[in-house]
Amino acid sequence: MSYLLRKLGIFVFTLWVAATLNFVLPRLVPGDPVSVMLAKYQGRLDPAAVDALKIAYGLNDLGSPVSQYFSYLGNLLRGDFGRSISLFPTPVIDVVRMALPYTLGLIGVTTIISFVLGSALGLYSGWRRGGVVADGLTPVALFLNAMPYFWFGLILLYVFAFQLKWFPLSGALDPFPGDTYSAGWWSSLLRHAALPVFTILVTSVGGWLITMRNNVINVAGEDYLAFARAKGLTERRIISRYVLRNALLPSFTAFGMALGFVVGGSILTEIVFSYPGLGFYLYQSVTNLDYPLMQAIFFFIALAVLLANLLVDFVNVLLDPRIREGQA
Amino acid sequence: MSGLRQFFGQPRSLVGAGFLLILLVASLCAPLITPYDPNSLEFGPFMPLSAQHWLGTTALGQDIFAQFIYGARLTLLVGAVAGLIATLLSVTFGLAAAYLGGRVDEAINTLINVFLVLPGLPLVIVASAFLRGGGVWPVILVISFTGWAFGARVLRAQALALRERDFVQAAVVAGEGPGRIIFREMLPNMAGLIAANFFGAALYAVLSEAALSFIGVGDVSLVTWGTMLYWAQAKGALLQGAWWWVALPGLGIALLGTSFALLNFAIDEISNPKLGRSNVKLPARKKPAPGAGVGNPDALLSIRDLNVGYLTPGPTVRAVRDVSLDVQPGELLGLAGESGCGKSTLAFAVTRLLDPPGAVLGGSVRLAEHDLLNLSPEELRRVRWKEFSMVFQASMNVLNPVLKIREQVYDAMQAHGVTDKQKLDARARELFDLVGIQASYLDAYPHQLSGGMKQRVVIAIALALEPKLIVMDEPTTALDVVVQRQILQEINDVRRRLGISIIFITHDLSLLVEMSDRVAIMYAGEVVELAPAHQLYAHPAHPYTQQLMNSFPPMTGPRTRRSGIPGKPPSLSAEIVGCPFFERCNKRMPGVCDVKPLQTFPVAEEQTAACFLYDPTVSPALKENAIRDSQHVQMEVSRESAHSANLN
Repeated sequence: MSYLLRKLGIFVFTLWVAATLNFVLPRLVPGDPVSVMLAKYQGRLDPAAVDALKIAYGLNDLGSPVSQYFSYLGNLLRGDFGRSISLFPTPVIDVVRMALPYTLGLIGVTTIISFVLGSALGLYSGWRRGGVVADGLTPVALFLNAMPYFWFGLILLYVFAFQLKWFPLSGALDPFPGDTYSAGWWSSLLRHAALPVFTILVTSVGGWLITMRNNVINVAGEDYLAFARAKGLTERRIISRYVLRNALLPSFTAFGMALGFVVGGSILTEIVFSYPGLGFYLYQSVTNLDYPLMQAIFFFIALAVLLANLLVDFVNVLLDPRIREGQA
Repeated sequence: MSGLRQFFGQPRSLVGAGFLLILLVASLCAPLITPYDPNSLEFGPFMPLSAQHWLGTTALGQDIFAQFIYGARLTLLVGAVAGLIATLLSVTFGLAAAYLGGRVDEAINTLINVFLVLPGLPLVIVASAFLRGGGVWPVILVISFTGWAFGARVLRAQALALRERDFVQAAVVAGEGPGRIIFREMLPNMAGLIAANFFGAALYAVLSEAALSFIGVGDVSLVTWGTMLYWAQAKGALLQGAWWWVALPGLGIALLGTSFALLNFAIDEISNPKLGRSNVKLPARKKPAPGAGVGNPDALLSIRDLNVGYLTPGPTVRAVRDVSLDVQPGELLGLAGESGCGKSTLAFAVTRLLDPPGAVLGGSVRLAEHDLLNLSPEELRRVRWKEFSMVFQASMNVLNPVLKIREQVYDAMQAHGVTDKQKLDARARELFDLVGIQASYLDAYPHQLSGGMKQRVVIAIALALEPKLIVMDEPTTALDVVVQRQILQEINDVRRRLGISIIFITHDLSLLVEMSDRVAIMYAGEVVELAPAHQLYAHPAHPYTQQLMNSFPPMTGPRTRRSGIPGKPPSLSAEIVGCPFFERCNKRMPGVCDVKPLQTFPVAEEQTAACFLYDPTVSPALKENAIRDSQHVQMEVSRESAHSANLN
C-alpha cells in the first residue's frame, strides 16, 4: 500500500512540476511575456486577445510573482487554461477536448500494440540467442529506432498516399464519413489511421525489442531458470511461467519510463499526416505563437503520460509479489 | 585494455565507429568534397540530379549535396555537445546521489523520476518556442536538460552497487577523501557505462534536434539535417517529386543514430558480459572408445573418462579431467575439494545443465539404463527429476520469485504426468512434512521464507518424484551451523528410508567423512583419491588428502598448530604434465611426479589414489626419501610452534 501511496505522491509532484514549468518558462524571457509576444505579433492581435493572454499568464494580477503563481494554479485546478490565440476566442480547454480522443486513439493504442509486438520479438530474440534471425533482429531494431518518426512518416506518405494513392493524404476522417460508429465511419477512420499507425509501429517497436531481449538474457542466467530446466519442465512452461513472467517486470517498468519519450516522439507523426490530435495542434500553436494552447497541450500530454505510468505501477503490483510486500 | 580489444573485435562497434569517423572527416573536409557553398542561392530552383548537382538543388536554389555535407557539421556538433552535457549531468547527479546517500539521494532520485516521466520532446518544443531565434546553443542546452535523467538513473544504480563493493569500502575506511574515492576508485569502474550513456544521449540529442528543426522551432537559418527537412517540407519537396531532398537528410540522421546506438549497444555488451555472445563454437564431443563406457554394471551411475571444459577465446579451460566414478544404489558419495577444483562443473556436466561456454569434451555418463550425454532434449526432459534431481549450491535464488511455492512444487510433478489436483496437494503436504515445514507455506512466495526454509523447499521438490539419484551441490553452505545440522540429518534419514543415492558436494571434508559412505577428493579437475569414508579418515593416502585433513583441528588431543596448504592450484587452461599437485606436495619425487603421465593406483581395498607413491614401478628408496623429507619439515614446523608457545 505504501508503494502505491508513494507512486501517487510522485504523480502529484510531477504534475505540479509540469504546471510550474509552464508558469516559469514564459517568465524566463526578458521583459514581461505578453509584451514580448505582442512584439512578435507586430500588432496583429485584437485587444480582447491581449486581455485573455494577460489573464492566462496571471499578469492581470499586478501583485508579486508569488500571488500570480497562486492565481495561475487556481485557474489550472478549475480547468481554465485561458483562450487560444490562433483560434480566438475558443477556450484552450475546448481545443484540447476536441483533439485528445484522436491522440489517445492513435498513440495510446499504437503504443500498446508496439509494446506487445516488440516484447514478443524481443522474447524470441533473447531466448533463441545465437541464431541468425534472433541475432539479426538487433541491428535492424537499432536502425528502426534511430529513424526520426516524422521522416519515416513523410516517406510513407509520399509513396503510399501521394504516389500510389492507397491511403488518404491527411486528416482523421473523410469530410462526410456517415453516422458516427457506422461501418462507413469506421472504415474511413481506419483508412486514415493506417499510415500513422504503421509509422509509429515501425519506429518504436525496436526499442521494446531491445529492452525485452536484454531482460530475457538476464533472466536466462538466473538460478531459478537452471532449476526449472533441471526439473524437466516443458519449454512452453519455462518460457511462459519462468522467463516471460520475470522478464516482463523490468520491461514493464521500462515501458513506463520510456513512455514520455515515445509519446513525445510519436505526436510528431500527427503533424506529417495532419492528424487532428494534440501533436498537430502543438505544431499549429508553435507556428502561430499560440502560447496558451502550446502550454496546455504540454500539460495534457504530461498528464496522459503520468496517468499511464500510474497504471503501469498498479499492474506491477499485480505482477510482482515482492512489490506487494513492500520489499522492492 | 582487453575491453578495448573486445570492443574493436565486434563487427557492430566497427560499423558504428567507422560510419561516425567517415561522417566526421567528410564534414570537416566539406570544402574539398563539394565546390559549392551550402547557403549560396545562385542556382535554379528544383534542378534535377545531374553531374554538376549530384542531388539537385533546393526550392531556393541551394545545392542539396553541399547542404548535406555541411549540415553534418552542426548535426554532429549538437549530438556531441548535448550528449556530453547530458552525460556530465547524469554522472554528477548519479554519483552525488549514490555517494552522499540519505536525503540527498532521495531528493535526486525524485528529481530523476520527475524528469524521466515528463514527456521530453513536448517540453523541449515549448521551451524552445520561448527561447527561439538564439542560434544553436539554446537548442543544445534545452536538449541536455531534458535528456540527462535516463542516464542518471542507470549510473546511480551502478554507483550504488560500487559503493558497497569491498575496494570502495576499504578506501573509505582508509580515510581517503570523497574526491579521491569518486575519481580514483569509482569513476574508472563506471567508464564503460558512462561511454554507453554518452552515445545514448547523443542519439536522443540528434533525434530531438531534427524534430525541433522540423517543426520550425530552433534556428531554421542554420544548415543542419533537421533544418534541411524543415525546408524540404515547407517548400513542398515531395509534391515537386524531389523526394531525395527529404530522403537524404533523414537517412543521414537514421544512420548517425544507428551508429550511436551500435556503439552504445557494443559497450553495454562488454560491461555486462551476460548480454554478450559467446563466439566460440562447441566442438564435437569425442565418442568414447568401444567398451570404454561399460564401467561397473552394478553401479547406478557410472561416469567414465569424463572431460569437461570452458571454451574461452584463449585456451580451453579443462575444468574436469578424465574423471571416472561409480555411485552404487543407495550410496552417499561425498565429493570434496577446494573451490575451483571442478566439483560443481562435474555436477553440472553429469546432470547436463552446463551452459555454454561450458561443454562436455569427452567421456560418458550412464544412469541406470540411460546414456545421459546422448539423450535427445525430449528424452532428457522426461528422465530429469524422475530419475535424478539436483539441489543447487545457490539455493537462495533457485525459486522463481513471482510464483507461489505451491506452483513450483506442483510443476515438477505435473511435468512428469501427475495431474490430479488432490494427489498433487497430498504429495506436496507429505513432502513438506518430510522436510519439516508447515504445509501453510505452500501458499507463500519465496521471498517470505528464510534461507533455511527455502533450502528445505528445494530438497522437498528434489524428493517429489522419489528419484534414484540426487546431486547436492553444497546444499547447506549458506546456512548457519544449527540449521545445517538439522537439514543434513533429515537428508540422511530420508535417503535411508527411500534408498536414494546421493552425490554430496562440499569443501567441508570433516562433514563428508561423517556422512558419506565413500569420499572422492578432487584436485585441479581430477579425482586424486577415492576411499570409504572411515578409511579416508584413518589412512588418507594422497598427500593432498593428508594435508587437507591436517587443516581441520581434531576434536580431541592436544592443541597443535594447523597448517594450511601453501601455494595454489595450477592453471586449468594449461596442459599439466605429471601430477597437478607436484608444486605444493610435501612428498614429491622430482624426476618422477613431474614427468610421468598421471595414473591411479590401488592403495588398499576399495581405496585408490592418483599418486606415484603407490606406483609399484617407482623404486621404494625414492619414496622413502620423499616421506622422510616431509617428516623432517613436519618436525621443524612443530619445533617452531613449540618455541612460539614457550614464548607466550
